[in-house]
Amino acid sequence: MPVYKLHYFKNPRQGRAELSRLILSQAGVEFQDIRFSHCEWPAIKPTTPFGHVPILEVDGRVLAQSNTIARYLAKKHGLAGKDEWEQAQADMYADNIHDLLNAVAVPFVEKDPVKKKEMYQHFMKVTIAPHVAAVEKQLKKNNTGYLVGNELTWADLAYYAYFSDFLEVKFGSAFLKGAPRLKSLIDRVKALPNVQKWTAYRDSTYPEDDK
Amino acid sequence: VSCCVLTDLLLSNYIISCDQNQNNSQCYQSALKMPGYKLYYFNVRGRGELSRLILHYAGVPFEDFRFEGKDWPAVKPKMPFGQVPVLEVDGEKMLAQSHTIARYLARQHGLAGQNDWEQSQADMYVDCIYDLHGAMRTATWEKDAEKQKELFDKVNQETIQPHLEKVEQHLVKNGGVHLVGQGLTWADIAYYAYFTTPIMTLLGGEVFNKTPHLKKLIETVGNNPNIKKYVETRPVTSG
Repeated sequence: MPVYKLHYFKNPRQGRAELSRLILSQAGVEFQDIRFSHCEWPAIKPTTPFGHVPILEVDGRVLAQSNTIARYLAKKHGLAGKDEWEQAQADMYADNIHDLLNAVAVPFVEKDPVKKKEMYQHFMKVTIAPHVAAVEKQLKKNNTGYLVGNELTWADLAYYAYFSDFLEVKFGSAFLKGAPRLKSLIDRVKALPNVQKWTAYRDSTYPEDDK
Repeated sequence: VSCCVLTDLLLSNYIISCDQNQNNSQCYQSALKMPGYKLYYFNVRGRGELSRLILHYAGVPFEDFRFEGKDWPAVKPKMPFGQVPVLEVDGEKMLAQSHTIARYLARQHGLAGQNDWEQSQADMYVDCIYDLHGAMRTATWEKDAEKQKELFDKVNQETIQPHLEKVEQHLVKNGGVHLVGQGLTWADIAYYAYFTTPIMTLLGGEVFNKTPHLKKLIETVGNNPNIKKYVETRPVTSG
């Protein structure tokens, strides 16, 4: 097994490294989960390929870009999809989540609490609600309980991470009311033994982010 | 030339870039084996252009379905996530997300990298381009020319120049010719696409002043006969 070192900030606790952590955990693969503080970042930044994190060190070689790292790990550990079309579909869903992460970053960084609340409400109505409806339709069409093919892929982990581990925690599950298949999927992923093991370890070891 | 005439007659909706060395029957056979691709996107370059360039580079026929903004309300409900570009394959399955489509096409047509690691490196570079697109968005849509130049210069200083310096270092370390491995990948095409957008062409004349190898790479991609032919004949659009 290669030696994996995943480098990311201490805060946020999950952020753009979490999907890779979930993939490795679900696959039962050991990795070094290296977290550094923001004051250490200026010294670390020039050592990264493009001045960003997360980065993944694999036996001395370095990969950057969160989704690229996640896709590489998914492929290596049986979570990418069974053929090239399935792999592309998984990529597509992961890209959807990437867009949603970028979109939620805007209200997330807003300092004014009134404006922040407004922005989150707008985001849930205009961005999340239509997307949930679209994904529910695709889940119905695929009819296997999974986003891609008939088994778990990193796409399901990505949707779990975003919709359950982030949005549901923040807003409750009202937004999933009209999406029973999506709700069922994220509940099933949440209940996977390796996912539970990871989130329990994570939540007891690392401090929660400031709200 | 005669190869293209023959296939044009048979596949009149398709835009074809034929390898001039193929004879008629080879061209016909390879056209028949091709999957039926239909790429849905606005009539701009934007997030559809990378896939168009990949297909043209690889000489793969496809239906380049372009529509204007006013037609979007009719197209949108047919798209899986209400967004474009979308790639429809053989009239039955659809793929969304610009980089997913481009990666799929690159993989199908030998432009993704030779092994898992190379494929990931190509992915990584294209993800960097995604970030650069994001950084340039406000400048791209700014109508006031003076303000646009100001915005461009800021993004260039703060984001593009630091990035290009890193890329040049990696490029030189990789032999100076290709971003990934020893051959052209969709990563090289992605850098070409970004650095030849209308705003870059207008304002980015000095963007490669410190990165000669990357400058040469972009020129080399642009000089490819298939790319050149497409670029000379594609619709002229604002973005």
